[in-house]
Amino acid sequence: MQTYLLRRALASVPTLFGVTVLIFIAMRVIPGDPIALITSESGMNYALTDEEITAVRHSLGLDRPYHEQYLSWMGDVLSGELGRSFWRQEPIRDQILRRAPITAEIAIMAIVISWIIGLPVGILSAVRRNAWPDYVSRVFVIFFVAVPAFWLGLLLVLAEVLIFNWRASLTIIYLWEDPWRNLQITIGPAVVLGFGVAALTARMTRSATLEILHEDYVRTARAKGLREKLVIIRHVLRNALLPVVTISGLALGGLLGGSVAVERAFGVPGLGALLVMGFGERDWMMIQNLVLLYGVVFTMINLLIDLTYAFLDPRIAYG
Amino acid sequence: MGDRSPSRTVSRRSLLKLSTGILGIGSLLAACTSAPATPTAAPQAPPKLAATPAAAQAPAPTSAPAAKPTAAGAAPAPTTAAAPTTAATTAAKPGFMRPVEGPPKRGGTLRIAGGTVTTPHFDLHQGATAHPLTQLYNNLVRKDIPSGFKQLIPDLAERWEVSSDGKAYTFFLRGGVKWHDGTPFTADDVVATFERFINPPAGTTITVRSQVDMLQKVEKLEPNTVRMTLSRPASYFLEVLTTTAMIIYPKKTLDENAGDLRKVIAPGTGAFMFKDHKSGEKWTFVKNPNYWDPELPYLDAIEMLHTPQLTDRGSAVLTGQADLTWNASVDTWREGQNRKNEITVALIPNPGAHTVHMNNTKKPLDDKRVRRAISLAISRQNIYTAYKDQEPIFLGRWMNVASPHSQSLEDIQKLPGYRADKTQDLAEAKKLMADAGHADGFGPLELVSATAPWAAEIMAPAFAEELKRNLNITTKIRLIERGLLIEDYKNGTFDLLVETQFFSPVMDYTPAWNLYFKSGASQNWSRYSDPDFDKLLDDLNNTVDPAKLDEAFKKGMDKLDQDAPFFVTGFTAHSPMWRNNVKGLSLDKRVHVEWGRNETAWLDT
Repeated sequence: MQTYLLRRALASVPTLFGVTVLIFIAMRVIPGDPIALITSESGMNYALTDEEITAVRHSLGLDRPYHEQYLSWMGDVLSGELGRSFWRQEPIRDQILRRAPITAEIAIMAIVISWIIGLPVGILSAVRRNAWPDYVSRVFVIFFVAVPAFWLGLLLVLAEVLIFNWRASLTIIYLWEDPWRNLQITIGPAVVLGFGVAALTARMTRSATLEILHEDYVRTARAKGLREKLVIIRHVLRNALLPVVTISGLALGGLLGGSVAVERAFGVPGLGALLVMGFGERDWMMIQNLVLLYGVVFTMINLLIDLTYAFLDPRIAYG
Repeated sequence: MGDRSPSRTVSRRSLLKLSTGILGIGSLLAACTSAPATPTAAPQAPPKLAATPAAAQAPAPTSAPAAKPTAAGAAPAPTTAAAPTTAATTAAKPGFMRPVEGPPKRGGTLRIAGGTVTTPHFDLHQGATAHPLTQLYNNLVRKDIPSGFKQLIPDLAERWEVSSDGKAYTFFLRGGVKWHDGTPFTADDVVATFERFINPPAGTTITVRSQVDMLQKVEKLEPNTVRMTLSRPASYFLEVLTTTAMIIYPKKTLDENAGDLRKVIAPGTGAFMFKDHKSGEKWTFVKNPNYWDPELPYLDAIEMLHTPQLTDRGSAVLTGQADLTWNASVDTWREGQNRKNEITVALIPNPGAHTVHMNNTKKPLDDKRVRRAISLAISRQNIYTAYKDQEPIFLGRWMNVASPHSQSLEDIQKLPGYRADKTQDLAEAKKLMADAGHADGFGPLELVSATAPWAAEIMAPAFAEELKRNLNITTKIRLIERGLLIEDYKNGTFDLLVETQFFSPVMDYTPAWNLYFKSGASQNWSRYSDPDFDKLLDDLNNTVDPAKLDEAFKKGMDKLDQDAPFFVTGFTAHSPMWRNNVKGLSLDKRVHVEWGRNETAWLDT
């Protein structure tokens, strides 16, 4: 197992290297000079001359050769500081650490919600195939797959404001500071994101369950007199979980990066909002590090998924 | 950035409408249990303008409390006094502002939901976001909050004198003022601040510099006296000094940072001190117990919450998550309007305008008859109707009607091109097109627009539709990210360009006209060039007499109407809303927008 882990860790290095190179180049080839853009957007009444742009770029070290800039960034990454924001010189690590707990909380809650809803709905749909529970479940699935989470979020916020005259805090409150107010911030995004993932989970659970219900070992379990509930839980569900884990893992990876649209809909200051701010300010360092973070998260989640396979299915062994 | 045809945009609009419809049904279902207040019509009425900023004129610092301002809308016509000439003034308590509502209570934290709480850096002179940072500082001169910015009053300058030729300003500084770090404020600080504008330190970009390009010399006469020498008289010089970015920085901090304050939050002399900043989340400022006006501030603290979405700002105030927002979305503003027991709303004229820049160097827009035809044929009223759920827009004739030099809204509404009835205007426009050899129209012109929904989904298609319907001018809409428009502006790679690029930091439009209309000027994106107009601008630049200024502006407006550099769709208004316990800011009396200082605010708890 250790060898496998080491091998996977080493295999992730070129992937992450590729991510850093791509985002580094992308930030420098997209049109528009960030310095001119920042000034023009904030001032709207002053356009920098080319000489001024050159001078400012020099003062920020952006006129250095690309390889120097890249190596400097990599040095910051390896030191753990992740560099500093473009103008304000705030450590990016601090900004990510401040917002990551909120985003992670939302992501984990969303996945838990998706399991709580998606698994029973999927199993019920499969077990009662072509009966009304199946129809209801399929309507649920199609609806929540089709409807974007941010749109549901907007409706929810609208209802909160117009009916209950309430909305959650606009600033970060951590779980360990005030659990109740923290829950107010996170529950809305978690629910709308969770329903979307739940729909996918239910769909995947249904098809996996349907397939497994026809397996020999299920028939054997039934033949030996096991109650249907036990057959489903012990023999069907566990085997149906493999694709569900894959879906949930990928969804978790996406959610840990922060859902830009949903965070915006709810006004949650998470990582998604930070990315939007980074783009708004053309803060290359911020964007580069957030994209790298997504790369790391996805790599780790993929590894975790693979390890979970071994746990769920004894036939799979690493090492 | 490929071209996108109007039909593509229309399709997206349809989609948006469908979504809105579904959203509406959803909200109707959601709302059926509580029947919230029915939204009223959009705020289409023009903002009720009070008197124009008597400001920049007779520097007549009023003794505190300031004269009780007249109610909004009951204001007199624009004042005639316009520029300081020779007046030397003093006041018993110069610059000591006192809120109209009172007696004020002390304590509490004012929470403001705003969209510009983020700032790329911290140097106000280099274009940092003024909204939060200005709380820390003072200007030399400022506009009076209680009167709704109708008067110019002393700030760090206790009084001032202006030479008879209008070229020398002597400021007598307030004594006993201290920076937040405890060091005393002196004339050296003022000199160091303004020296930055004259000789910007290497590597800096002093974005406010263009507003004071006439500033030639700044010198310390005595420990508390500073003289500024201008290359020419400027009617608006004092008013420019009141803007939120024209704050005074400490010499010590400037010296310590080689004149570049982008990375540091310099101490100020203001009523509030910096406490905390969480990027993209909030700012916290606390009361300065040693503020030079011992009465102020009343609040213990101010929290500024980063709420980029207009709807979030409005809903934050509606639900009590914030006490005030400077600009809410139209729908939440209407909702606030219906909740009179909790919320107060206002409309305040904004110096910004919606524009369609026409590239004067490209055929056939280089023909002033064509530009005049476009100006006549486009129905501004139709565009306002299309835009009414987005933001209120109002007519203005090359300047905001809040300017002391503007004609009244009523008069503008009767003018060709501005009036609602287009019968005569269309006939004239078609004749002009025929004279220019385009009786059957022409096209397609490239209409560049930002991808932002307000531009891409409303302004650009609405303008294109008006062009097509009224003059048979066809367009191809090209959408690009808003931040990249600057490249098109600079390179002139557009025929028409929808934006909000006609902004004046002061209500005297002399500097704005110079920036946007003068041949070769840095913001002359339309590449307009007319020697006669340049001459008129020279006259404006050297005129301080109010009557002559009025006359020159009138002449300029007539000329611009005939030879339009670009199309001014209209001027916007901001839609502030606040909880009823917020007092002392005279938001309902303000003659123009300023997301600025709040030292007179208090909370009626």
